[in-house]
Amino acid sequence: MWSYFANPERFDRLAAAMLPWTWGLTIVLFAIGLPWALVFSPADYQQSETVRIMYVHVPAAWLAMAAYAGLGVSSFVYFIWRHNLADLAARALAPAGAVFAFLCLVTGALWGRPMWGAWWVWDARLTSMLVLFLLYLGYMALRGAIEDEKLGARAGSILAMAGLINLPIIKFSVDWWNTLHQPASVIRFDGPTIHASKLWPLSIMALAFTVLLTALVLTTMRTMIVERRLERLERQRESRLEAEAAL
Amino acid sequence: MSAMALFAREVRLAWAGGGGPAGPAAFNLAALALAPLAIGPDAETLAAAGPGIITFAALLATLQPAERIFGEDVADGTLELYALSGVGLALASLMKALAFTLAVFWPLPALAFLGGLAYGLEPVPALVLSAGLLLAAPGLALVAAFAGALAAGLKRAGLLIALIAAPLQVPLLVFAAGAGRAAMDGTPTVLPNLMMAAAFTLAALVLAPLGAAAALRARLE
Repeated sequence: MWSYFANPERFDRLAAAMLPWTWGLTIVLFAIGLPWALVFSPADYQQSETVRIMYVHVPAAWLAMAAYAGLGVSSFVYFIWRHNLADLAARALAPAGAVFAFLCLVTGALWGRPMWGAWWVWDARLTSMLVLFLLYLGYMALRGAIEDEKLGARAGSILAMAGLINLPIIKFSVDWWNTLHQPASVIRFDGPTIHASKLWPLSIMALAFTVLLTALVLTTMRTMIVERRLERLERQRESRLEAEAAL
Repeated sequence: MSAMALFAREVRLAWAGGGGPAGPAAFNLAALALAPLAIGPDAETLAAAGPGIITFAALLATLQPAERIFGEDVADGTLELYALSGVGLALASLMKALAFTLAVFWPLPALAFLGGLAYGLEPVPALVLSAGLLLAAPGLALVAAFAGALAAGLKRAGLLIALIAAPLQVPLLVFAAGAGRAAMDGTPTVLPNLMMAAAFTLAALVLAPLGAAAALRARLE
């Protein structure tokens, strides 16, 4: 199955057919989810209106982690089978995932200020999200620094796989670090387990973010395929012009 | 060339080349001297922050010369010879990282002990902190070597190595500093922390050379 879709032409046709639907679904889901979450859903009895930040914050956190898992899996596929599309997927996933991680951190800070009285708390979950953001930055910096496309793809895939192996370890050690030295005032989200009136908008927002990520990745991958084709054509034209000049 | 001969050669090179252990040691010392100037001279605050600052300074000191671990080999063709030598790139990477630990990073645990005393720790917690770094140092060097293999020969490789290696070194930082803090506070988690630091060094011993070898092989193709 990998090989069937690894053909760039075939992928391009499939993506071209899928993209209008994916973008359309993104718009529809956000059109339903955003008003529901930000306006019509009930305010929380403890957090009042700030609970609405959660509808952006939580999906962003999920997608930041899912995108890194996708980055690791695509890198693995590229490393083993050398399918170029897997590398394109990895390259497209990295900035999208980094943006989601950043969004998660920023919305978390905005929520933390009124709720915890602090923009930032060195809590285990916050810290592991920050480390995840750094992993994304490292990956993108490495890809940006290597000009040779093949070498960049191989080095990037190795780093992404190392990050994927390390991520649970980092998560575990950060958890341990925080339980050892818990701050005196234990700040925790001690609300009730989430109520259906909040679960629905949250689910729709999560779905909307997921479809958005899919649409972003597919669009970026198509752009990169076109870019590559353009480069090849330009090279061909240059060599033809040179040959003609030599004649 | 056998693995042991390679190890001996790398130890000599790491010891003599590029200032050997003087660079990271001086860097570590500078970091330890500057931190109190920024934090303030309050003894209690310094003692509380001591294990963390000392471990963190050691971590930065392992990143400082990481560019050298593979950079020169890629530049002058030694890498090709190692690839052909029959030792294998993974074993060669392991030997290089261990040689680097032995020849260049050996002052770091000693400095951690002295730094601990200077920051107002009792001798026993300072020794525990030093032991934690002794256990973590090979792991830190291996992660730095892995990042060095990925970034070898690139422009501004040093910055890239720091950005790649720092998140991967988080577990070692947590447990080496954790051992020192536990010893200082008298909590009974000293041994678990030390064992976890050793465990991550052992894990890096297995995984990092494979990753570094894969990165180097990509460069040779």
